[in-house]
Amino acid sequence: MPGVDKVGADLLARKVTRRDFVKTGSLLALGATSFPTILAACSTGGSPSKSGPKTLKILQWSHFVPDYDKWFDPWVKAPPSQYEQSTVDMSDVVKQVEKKYGKQLDFARLTNFNPHTNRYFGFTYSFAPDPGDYRQSFFQQVGMANGPTSWEEMLTATAQIKSKTKGAVRGGIGFSPEPDSNMAARALIWSFGGSEQDADSNVTINSDAVVGAVDYMARLFKQAETAEVFSWNAASNNQGLVAGSLSFILNSISAYRTAQASKPDVAKDIFFSKPLSGASGVKPLASEHVIQTYIIPKFSKSQDVAKEFLLYLADHASDFVYQSKLYEFPVNPNTNAQDKLYGQGGWLDSDPYKSDPASKLQVLKDATTWSVNVGYPGPASPAIGEIFDKNLLPSMMAAAARGQKSPKQAVADTETQIKAIFASWRQKGLVGGTK
Amino acid sequence: MAEVEVRDIRKSFGGGSAAVDGISLTCGNGEYLVLLGPSGCGKTTLLRMIAGLEHPTGGDILIGGRSVRGLPPRARKIAMVFQSYALYPHKKVEQNISFPLEAQGMSREERIEKVKWASGLLGIGHLLQRKPRQLSGGERQRVALARALVREPQVFLLDEPLSNLDAKLRASARLELKQFQQRVGISTIYVTHDQVEAMGLGDRIAVLNQGRLQQVGTPEEIYHRPANTFVATFVGSPPMNLVSRDGKLVGFRPENIELEKTAGSRDDAAVFHSRVLRIENLGADRYVYLRVQDDKGDTNIIAKLPIDHPLHVAADDDADVIVRKRHLRMFDRDSGEETAA
Amino acid sequence: MSEPAARRTVIIDETVRVHHLLDREEVLGPLMLAPLLIYLVALVGLPLLFVFIYSFSDATTGSDTFNFVGLETFQKTIADPVFQVALRNTVVFTVIAQAVVIVLATILGFVLSANFRGKWFVRFLILLPWTTPVALSALAWLWMLDSLFSPFNWILGQVHLIDQGTPVAWLGQDSLAVASVVALQAWRTLPLAAVILMAGLTSIPPELNEQAEVDGAGFWRRFFDITMPLLAPIMMVAILFGIVATFTDMAAVYILTRGGPGDATQVLGSWSFYTGIQGGSLAQGAAIGIFMFPVLLGVCILMLRRASRTDAF
Repeated sequence: MPGVDKVGADLLARKVTRRDFVKTGSLLALGATSFPTILAACSTGGSPSKSGPKTLKILQWSHFVPDYDKWFDPWVKAPPSQYEQSTVDMSDVVKQVEKKYGKQLDFARLTNFNPHTNRYFGFTYSFAPDPGDYRQSFFQQVGMANGPTSWEEMLTATAQIKSKTKGAVRGGIGFSPEPDSNMAARALIWSFGGSEQDADSNVTINSDAVVGAVDYMARLFKQAETAEVFSWNAASNNQGLVAGSLSFILNSISAYRTAQASKPDVAKDIFFSKPLSGASGVKPLASEHVIQTYIIPKFSKSQDVAKEFLLYLADHASDFVYQSKLYEFPVNPNTNAQDKLYGQGGWLDSDPYKSDPASKLQVLKDATTWSVNVGYPGPASPAIGEIFDKNLLPSMMAAAARGQKSPKQAVADTETQIKAIFASWRQKGLVGGTK
Repeated sequence: MAEVEVRDIRKSFGGGSAAVDGISLTCGNGEYLVLLGPSGCGKTTLLRMIAGLEHPTGGDILIGGRSVRGLPPRARKIAMVFQSYALYPHKKVEQNISFPLEAQGMSREERIEKVKWASGLLGIGHLLQRKPRQLSGGERQRVALARALVREPQVFLLDEPLSNLDAKLRASARLELKQFQQRVGISTIYVTHDQVEAMGLGDRIAVLNQGRLQQVGTPEEIYHRPANTFVATFVGSPPMNLVSRDGKLVGFRPENIELEKTAGSRDDAAVFHSRVLRIENLGADRYVYLRVQDDKGDTNIIAKLPIDHPLHVAADDDADVIVRKRHLRMFDRDSGEETAA
Repeated sequence: MSEPAARRTVIIDETVRVHHLLDREEVLGPLMLAPLLIYLVALVGLPLLFVFIYSFSDATTGSDTFNFVGLETFQKTIADPVFQVALRNTVVFTVIAQAVVIVLATILGFVLSANFRGKWFVRFLILLPWTTPVALSALAWLWMLDSLFSPFNWILGQVHLIDQGTPVAWLGQDSLAVASVVALQAWRTLPLAAVILMAGLTSIPPELNEQAEVDGAGFWRRFFDITMPLLAPIMMVAILFGIVATFTDMAAVYILTRGGPGDATQVLGSWSFYTGIQGGSLAQGAAIGIFMFPVLLGVCILMLRRASRTDAF
C-alpha cells in the first residue's frame, strides 16, 4: 500500500529514556495521522517465554509530506471497525489511560468502542478538528470579514464572491467521492438536524432535515460552485484555497500550515471559522477530520509490549500535540497537553508556530465540544465505515446537485442503499439497531 | 491490343546507382517480349514502371501511342501476373477472377458471362468455388491468368510467373502460356531470369544488365550474335567461351567445338592448343573441360560434344580445339562490344 | 536424436551430473515451466477460486471466518442501483473505447508500417503509453485534467476560448468525465492494438494491394475489399486484448474520477473495490467482480479458438 510506512522501532528493547521517547514520539506524532495504526509486536529470536529483546512493528500512515499524503487520505480516514473481529480488546489500555487522564471524549469512545459487542477494538488517542477555512480578503469584499457563521451566510457570501470575480473565486464544498466531501456532507446534515443513524444504530437518513440539507447543497452548487466539485480528490480543496480560486472550504489546519512555509502571504489571508449553523435550535457540528486509533491484530505475538507503548504515548500528549503543529488534539481531558493547549495564553491563544495574528487558532479552543465522530450520534461501525468508503452521502448530494434526482428522491434512494448495508452487517452481529 | 514503348526511362531509389538507367524499348502489337537478366538488373523495376506501380525518375512510357506517365495502374489498360500470382486468399476463384470487373462497375450478369468465358479458356471452370489455398501451383497460375485476361487488357505484364512452379510443371506451363498468348494475341511483356524460358517463349528478347539494355533481338540473334560479352556469357548453357587472341576476345559456343589430337593449320577455322582437364558424360552430350593457352595465359573453356560423336582424347591429353570461322564472334577486349573480325 | 541414443550417452558416461539432468527434456521442461505455473496458480488461480468462494458467502475483510449464504450476496448485488450503473458503464466504456481504438489503431498501423524519415521516433512515441503502468499514466492524466492545474485549461485560456480562472471541470461534468475515462482507456490500449495491426499489415503481401491496384481498384475498394478482410483475424486479436484490458480495469476510473461525478463513471472494477476492499463487504465485492467473468470467459474462448486456427490465410 503506498504511503504506509513500516516503522520498526525497538522501543522497548532498551530501557527507554525520556530523550529516546521524545525522539521516537515526535516521529510518530508527525507521522501519526494514520488511521488505523496497526501495532504488531513480535519477539525476535529465542523463545517467546524468554524476555529477550523485542521489536515493535508499527504499520502506519506517513504524513511527512502532507500535501502529497492528502492523496491517500481515503485509506486512513475510515473507521477501523471492520477489523473488529481480528483485533485485541483494548479495554485495559483505555481504562488505564482514563484513570490517569479522564474519560475519553464521547466521539472518541464511539470511534474505538462498539457498544453492540461491548468491545474496545482499538485505542483512540487523538483527533484533528475540521473547522471552516476561508480567505479573509474575499469575504471582506462582501462585508463578512469575520467569516460566515451559518450555512446560509456562507452560500450568500461565496455566491457573491463568485459573481464579483466572474467565476474566478468559487465556493469550496466538495461533492466528490473523497473523504473531505464525506465529512462536509455529514457536518451539513448534522447542522440541519439530521443524521445517518441514531444513537442505537437505527438508520435515520430519510428525514426532512436531510432532505433540507441536500436541497441546500444543490443550491450551493448552482449559485456558488462549478462542476469541478464533483471531480475533487482529498487535496483539491486545499490547493484551490491556497491558489486563490476557492473562498471557503472545510478542512483541518494542515493546508494552512503548509501555506505558512510556502506562501506566507496566502497563509496570512487564511482564517478559520467554527461549524456553520443550519436549522435553528440545532447545535452546529463538524466531523473530526482525522481520528487516531491504534489497533493490535490478534496475530501480534507481544501484545503486552504494544500496549505498554500506547501507555507511553498517552503519557506524552503534549509532545504529539506540539510536534504535529497543533494538528492533533488529545481525546482525554486531563492530559499533560490540556493546559498548554487550551489554557489562558496557551498554544491556541498564541500559536507557537507564528500565526499572524498569533490568536488565529483560538477558534479551535472549543473544538472538543463541536467535533463528533463519523456515524454520530451513533457509534462507528462497519456499516458506517462502508457508507463512508462507498461515498454514498457525497453521491447523494451530487445526484441532487446535478439535477439527476430531486433531493427527496436522492435521499430515499440512498436510504435503500444504507439499509441494505446495515442489514448485512447486522447479520454478522457487528452492528446494533433494528431499523 | 497495343504497342508499348519506353523512352529513355530511368529509375533510382534514393541514393546509390540507378535501378533502371535509361532504357528505350518497344514491344510491338501482339508481340511476346521477354525481359531477361540476372536478379537486380532492373527488369522487374522496368515492368513495374510500365504497370504504374513505380514512378520513373525520368523518361516516358507510351501505351498505344499515348503517354501514360502520371496515370494510375488502373487507367493503363494493362493486366499483370505476379510471381506469387497474388490471388486474393479470402476470395473464391470466381470472385478473384471477377474482381477487376467489379472494380470497373460491370453488371453482375456480364461479370458471370466473362468469368465463364475466361475460366473456360483456361480450363478452370470446375475450380470456381474453391479458395486459392485449395489449388495446386499450376491451377493458381491459370486463375491468375484468367483474372488478367478477363478485363481484356491492351498489354499483359508477367513477372516470373513460372518461378514458383516445380521443374516438371514448368515445361508444360511454358507451353500453355505460349499457346494462350498466341490464342488471345495480346502484347505481352514477360520478365524472367531464366534464359531457357526466354528462348522458348519470346518473339524477341531484351537482355538487361545493371539497369541498361544490352541487346534486343530474336532468340536466334541473341544466341548466335550476342552484342557483347555479357549477353554472350549470360545466354546459353554452358555459356559462350571467350579466349583472348590478337588483342581481341574470341567467342564461340561450346557446341561449335571440334576436338582433334592435332589439327595442324586450317584456313576455315581457328585452332587453339589445349589440355583436357576432365570429361563429363551427361547422357546425350558430354562436356569436355579444357585449358587453352591464349594471350593472357591460360583460360578454361568447355566443349559440348554429342555422345555419338567419336572422341579421340582423354583426360590429361593435349588436344587442339577447332572452331569454324563462321562460328567465331569477336569482341573488343576493353568494352566487351562485338567488333568486326 | 532418438530417445535410446540419449540414454545410452548417460550410461556410457556413468556419472549422472546435474548438467546431464538438465539436458533431459523431461526434467528441463517442467523445471522451466514451474515458475510460470506457480505464478499462475498462486496469483491468478487461487484468487479466482477465492472470488468464487467469497461470492457465495458473507465474508468481510475484518474476519477470517465466514458462512456460505448461497445466492443471497448475488441478490443483494443485483438489487444495488450503483452496481447496475457500474455494469452498464463497464460495457459501454469498453465498447466505445475499443471502437475508437480499432479506427485509430488501423490508421496508426498504416503509419507505423509506412516508410518515412524519423520512423523509429514516431514508433517510440506511439508505443510509449503502452510501456507506462496504468496507475502512472492515469496519474499523469489526472493532473492534465485537474480542475485547478489542467494544462488544457491553461491553453484554452491562452487562446481565449475560456476566461482565465474559470476552468473547464474535465472530470466534473458527466459527459466530459465519461469521455475522459473512455479516452484514457482508448489511449492506453491503443499502442498494443496499433502494433498488432502493424504486424498484421506487414504480414499482408504487398503484391495483393498492387494486384488490386492493377485490377482497377481505388484506395477505398482496396482498403475494404482486400486489406480489411485480411486484417480481420488479427484485428480480432487486438480487440480481444483491448476488451480484457478495459473491461477489468479499475485503475483508470479509481484514479481519474473515483467513480464520480456521483456514480456517473463507476465501473465494476472500482465498485467492487469500494465495496469489497474499502467498505469491507468482501463477499459483495467478490460478487460484483464475478460479473466480469462471463465476458472474460467468452473472450478467452474466442482467443483460444483463434489461436488454434492456423489456416487464417
